[in-house]
Amino acid sequence: MVQINFAQKSVNLKIVYYGPGMSGKTTNLEIIHQRAPEGNRGDLTSISTDGDRTLFFDYMPLDLGTVAGMRTAFQLYTVPGQVYYNSTRKLVLQGVDGIIFVADSSASMVNQNLESLRNLEENLNEYGKSLSTLPHVIQLNKRDLPDAMTVEELSRLLNPHNAPIFEAVANTGQGVFPTLKALAASVLKNIMNEAGQKSGYSAPQAPAPAARQAAPPRPQAPGAPRAPAFAPPQAPLPMQAPQPNYSMGVPQAPAGGGFFPGAPQAPAHPVPMHAQQPPGGLQLARPSPQGHPPLALSQTRSQPRPALNVAAPRQMQAGQARPQPRPAPAPASHGQARRPAAKAPAPAEKPRKKLTPIFIVAGAGVGAVLAWVLTNVL
Amino acid sequence: MSQKPVSRDENLRKSRLVFYENDVQRLNAEIDTFLELSKARCALLVDRDGHLVTRRGEPVRTSEETVSALIAGSFAATREMARLLGENEFAILFHQGTRDSIQLQLIGERTLLATLFDGRTNLGMVRFYAQETAGRINEVLEEIHSQNRSADLNADFGSRAEDALDKLF
Repeated sequence: MVQINFAQKSVNLKIVYYGPGMSGKTTNLEIIHQRAPEGNRGDLTSISTDGDRTLFFDYMPLDLGTVAGMRTAFQLYTVPGQVYYNSTRKLVLQGVDGIIFVADSSASMVNQNLESLRNLEENLNEYGKSLSTLPHVIQLNKRDLPDAMTVEELSRLLNPHNAPIFEAVANTGQGVFPTLKALAASVLKNIMNEAGQKSGYSAPQAPAPAARQAAPPRPQAPGAPRAPAFAPPQAPLPMQAPQPNYSMGVPQAPAGGGFFPGAPQAPAHPVPMHAQQPPGGLQLARPSPQGHPPLALSQTRSQPRPALNVAAPRQMQAGQARPQPRPAPAPASHGQARRPAAKAPAPAEKPRKKLTPIFIVAGAGVGAVLAWVLTNVL
Repeated sequence: MSQKPVSRDENLRKSRLVFYENDVQRLNAEIDTFLELSKARCALLVDRDGHLVTRRGEPVRTSEETVSALIAGSFAATREMARLLGENEFAILFHQGTRDSIQLQLIGERTLLATLFDGRTNLGMVRFYAQETAGRINEVLEEIHSQNRSADLNADFGSRAEDALDKLF
């Protein structure tokens, strides 16, 4: 789902690389990460198994820059291709704006390609989407394989919606960027169409079959029944994806700061987990007129809120300090949690304090009378 | 699977999420109050698709986009686990580290409030105030989602995006 955030002046789009296992989805992302300008690419994060198979997804943000005042970014995901990872594959598809289907051109992979395409349509249907309406392109990868099927054959099998088709050898980078560019343009065009605005912008059309080559023309060897689209690479198959320097799993924060730069060292959870429950003193004072109870520290709510500069660019937001300086670190305790409630004295305490001397005097008087009666009368 | 026909407006609501500046100001105000009360360090409001809506409090060291994507992924995986166990979903997740910890709370149908905190506060405080704040944020989000909003992108956004794509690739 495209997110248009006018406060942050940003447009975020989600693009997913889909396809059978080992078809080259992660390799596409690795090439983009290697070759995209440094200022436009984010970290490539991979949740993968020890065997370098994608377990959940690979992720990389790609910043298009500021377009008409809006910072436009593509969030690029891959899915695990193996059949048994369908649950995670489906999760990654949530909110997708465009799909690049990476097919393996090898004749031995035709069934896996078809199964993956069918699975894609099924998973999209569960989110109320369909390839018939969702922007997508098809990348025929591994065109350098000796048993690669022809573009026409693969197109007939894998492209029922007449989407743009691109040939690629992802591990050499051929065809990777044209594929992404075509989909990005198609997704952007879709946004403008939905907005109903005449932008004069037209995404690249699906190339004619004769012009579908995203890379150098296919060398025609006389008499050869099937020629590869590209000259075979120097390195023999299986193709080894170049290994970029990217983080595996959640980026590790350097020691000493945790998630935050320059963070002061704070005690690591001094209170045991079983004691970390909200104390009973945190009671809501009274229901608010909006129908939900106010937070306990009602005086904080009544204070004027600090001025917010949400219109500032995100970089400015990142540098903004908290509205009020944070107090010095204090050990977490129940007393700390009770502090807000303790600031509101109970209304019944004041009259009780005034009455106490009267009771003392009255008690003393009664005692004196009793003593006099006991000594003089009895 | 047969799909029910949907109107254009309904389709737009499902296919895009538009936040105006005033929306984010209201969300920021709620989150600022939450951070003051809970003494947490940072809070991120993340769409379940992995897009960051807003971040308040101290800046995050690493890429906010990446953290948002992983937060959404973590929640999605746990939701699937809940479904397999017969639960609708686990509305609150908690990851404890040696120094920083993170609590994820589902707000409404499609938004997550991720709160990062350290030893200056504790889980009870964060959970208590997050629960309160979630109700308020949900009211704002429901209002946003119920409206049919135009994107109001610049008319030349498409053509400029094409130029930017040409430069990038």
